[in-house]
Amino acid sequence: MIGRRIPRIDGPIKATGEAKYTTDIYLPDMLVAKMLRSPLPHAKILNIDISKAKKIPGVKAIITGRDAWDIRHGFIETPRYPADQYCLANDRVRYIGEEIACVAAVDEDTAYEAIDAIKVTYEELPAVFDIFEAIKPDAPDIHEFRLPDLIEPFKNVGGRCANSFGDMEAAFKKAYLIREDRFETQLRTHCYLEPQATVAYYDVNGKLNVWTSSMGVFRKRMHLSKILHMPLSKIRIHKSWVGGAFGGKIDLFSHEFCTSLLSIKTGKPVKYVAERDEIFSYFRHGQPMVIDLKTLVAKDGTILGQIVRCYNNCGAYRGSGVVCIFLCWGFIILPYRIPTLDYIGYSIYTNNPVRAPQKGHGAPQVRFAVESQLDIIAEELGIDPIEIRLKNARQKGDILPNGDTIKNAGLIECIEEIEKKTDFRKKYSKNLKEVKQYKNNTRFRRGIGIGVSSYFTGTLIYPHNSAAIIKFNDDGTVQCYTGALDIGQGAETILAQIIAEELSIDIKDIEIIAGDTDNTPVDIGSWISGLTYVTGNAVKKASEDARKQLLSSAAIYLNVHMDSLDMRDRIIFVKDNPERSITFSKVLENHIRDHKGDPIIGKGFFRGLKDAEHGPSLKNAKGAWSDSYAFDAQVAEVEVDMHTGKIKVIKATTAHDCGFPINPLLVEGQIDGQVSMAAGQALSEEIIMEKGITLNPSFLEYKLPIATEMVENDYIDIITEEYKKGHHFHTKEVGEGYVSGILAAIANAVYNATGVRAKRLPIRIINNLS
Amino acid sequence: MINKGVKKRLITLNINDRDYHVIIDDRDTLLYILRDKLMLTGTKDACGVGECGACTVLVDGKAVLSCLMLAIDGQGKKITTVEGLAKDGKLTDLQKAFIQYGAIQCGYCTSGMLMSVVGLFNTNPNPTKNDIKKAIEGNICRCTGYNKIIDAIEAVKDKRLKDKNDR
Ligand code: FES
Ligand code: FES
Repeated sequence: MIGRRIPRIDGPIKATGEAKYTTDIYLPDMLVAKMLRSPLPHAKILNIDISKAKKIPGVKAIITGRDAWDIRHGFIETPRYPADQYCLANDRVRYIGEEIACVAAVDEDTAYEAIDAIKVTYEELPAVFDIFEAIKPDAPDIHEFRLPDLIEPFKNVGGRCANSFGDMEAAFKKAYLIREDRFETQLRTHCYLEPQATVAYYDVNGKLNVWTSSMGVFRKRMHLSKILHMPLSKIRIHKSWVGGAFGGKIDLFSHEFCTSLLSIKTGKPVKYVAERDEIFSYFRHGQPMVIDLKTLVAKDGTILGQIVRCYNNCGAYRGSGVVCIFLCWGFIILPYRIPTLDYIGYSIYTNNPVRAPQKGHGAPQVRFAVESQLDIIAEELGIDPIEIRLKNARQKGDILPNGDTIKNAGLIECIEEIEKKTDFRKKYSKNLKEVKQYKNNTRFRRGIGIGVSSYFTGTLIYPHNSAAIIKFNDDGTVQCYTGALDIGQGAETILAQIIAEELSIDIKDIEIIAGDTDNTPVDIGSWISGLTYVTGNAVKKASEDARKQLLSSAAIYLNVHMDSLDMRDRIIFVKDNPERSITFSKVLENHIRDHKGDPIIGKGFFRGLKDAEHGPSLKNAKGAWSDSYAFDAQVAEVEVDMHTGKIKVIKATTAHDCGFPINPLLVEGQIDGQVSMAAGQALSEEIIMEKGITLNPSFLEYKLPIATEMVENDYIDIITEEYKKGHHFHTKEVGEGYVSGILAAIANAVYNATGVRAKRLPIRIINNLS
Repeated sequence: MINKGVKKRLITLNINDRDYHVIIDDRDTLLYILRDKLMLTGTKDACGVGECGACTVLVDGKAVLSCLMLAIDGQGKKITTVEGLAKDGKLTDLQKAFIQYGAIQCGYCTSGMLMSVVGLFNTNPNPTKNDIKKAIEGNICRCTGYNKIIDAIEAVKDKRLKDKNDR
């Protein structure tokens, strides 16, 4: 079952339209909620007058910041980085679109009418949108918050992460070449197809029932409990299918709080579904970044040291910006050996909407910069892109600067194999020669480029762990209880495969009951790239526990030692004499009879980083980060129309060390999606903002890839880990690591085709053509 | 309030071979009636303004964006939604191929995608890869990069053509 291309188990309900997403939840007597948002980027709220709105027939409740408790929330909440955002603005708004009031009414029209009737008086304050403006001494203060240990004379610093090691002076002395560049990545967004949506129903027993489009139910419950001042036990997040997230649905959102409070106030179910233009304009996107990168190399291309400054525009509240600047450090030190580093990342407040993680969370930004510069350096040194990468690649046994060990690394194999498969060196040098000699006057030029990346496999952040329960029906079929939430990646299918493997049963005999805070055990959630590793191992252990109980019971009835038994298709048999057997069903029946009613229940749990108390420091990047790291090398082949500047990605090849694929079909699917997202980021996608206003708030204008822009994909598996019975496994992440190498590869391929080096995304070569 | 004073009327819509009598007002879209009034939530609303294809249904066999069509214009026509594809509890070859080839991830685009493809096959049983891409160009999928969707559609095409030739 492990390693097989099993079609996903939620296929049929999704192919028939039966699967219920949050947007599909309709409850009797349900009210519709709509949001009043700030039209100003920075202002004091002097007064909110809801008297007229309240009187409109059909309006059931209106809430403003005054109805909320004086509680703030944050993506992370630590003493260094206290929560900084209210669910509804209190006395101040800091970006266009910030939530001010929420209305529950009998229908959408009435709700909007009430929104229009609310009168807010503002006192406008000066606003700042650009990070380098925001850090100036005369910039307006967006928050009162000051980082206690900030040494720079910068304003509006929401977070700072600094880490350095090695002897930089010595590196400078040894350096043959020093290269310094600035790279900029744009504001991109997730484009999950299912809009943000929540249904909340506070029932007569005082239980708050919530369906919300999210990435992890236990994290949402924790946030809601805090912000609503309600015990965890009084909140139940129900399972609903999730129509894509890509990082954009992990934070707590205002509408989740508002629907909950409105339901508490009205006693009726309340539903909020964001309009698409609201999502584009006001919701959380990825993190645009400016990266100043100085790299010191020896003559043979060995990296001697790097000096890196990352400036992240985190928007009006901290969001995940401070996590992103920690991760940027990580994506600098991961794939290559960096003996000397001076790293500082800044997360800077501006009067823009808040930012969230998006696939890669710092890696696309960093890898675009590093991989582009590495190609520049290689060319200056006269060595090829493959050689310089092989020279610096991390290897098995390496110790990362934070102390983590690289247990297994297939990066060298990834680079070598992809070179062979794509005939990289030959194509690359041919194109480069033609470009250099200005020989290529053809309209359509081809180019090839490579990028390398590495990604972590889960870390410690609430809820830290996953647990699972395996129980049996009388006929021996299995139900697994897991808090995992399948957001499209195939979590439920993977978990079912693990159970099928451990119990040697057909996947059809397994039912997964998932993603419900009342009915399933705690789960880490579908984020921080840890689900398959953490939840997968919890499910594996639960299955092992159940298997052991079944075998030891069967041993009694078959009168043999349990070691001589095996199982297949819900039958336990003696290995040497398969005729001697007993069905699961019979074992269960006998076990219940002989063990005072015990029906055999398997229990399992798992937490990564077993020796660490908490995750790594966001201040100085010290401390354990992850148990294992995935590696990849990706190659892009592009075609550029030299008349129009249009760039097409013809083919992408991904060589990946994901440990081992539990389901290659799903792994390929993850790669396909990430390559497509990277092509979008490289070539067309950008949220264009002016003074806090989004100028292109629609799918059409945002220009994400459509079917005619499909990129053909090829895959190379580099297997470095294995699945063993009786041990926990170290499969690695595949959900977001493959969006970065290919992004850099596309930029490098464009250079290879045209001689134009992109330092800003999306790549625009037209200005460079003459 | 925009809809105050808008007259409601009773109309009949034939959806998935069944007559539904629904009260609408003239500006209701077909998508709104399908989802909010008839609870046929297989058809998705991901933008509401004709840019994503998630709401695609068949009207007299042709793929149509139900968010851009008024419910009132659906009278006297044969409307098919994703719920109407499987017959007697059996999935169609296209649905099966979507599952088998990994064309479904989060699934939010799936119903619209399927309906666009059914619409394509209705007019062109032998589409080229390019025809296929064109036919689903208006259906956004953020999860799959379209690769396995196109694989699935091509497989169905090949299988259908082969079955026809074998007959
Ligand atoms: S909902 Fe109709 S096209 Fe998007
Ligand atoms: S499968 Fe998620 S949008 Fe297509």
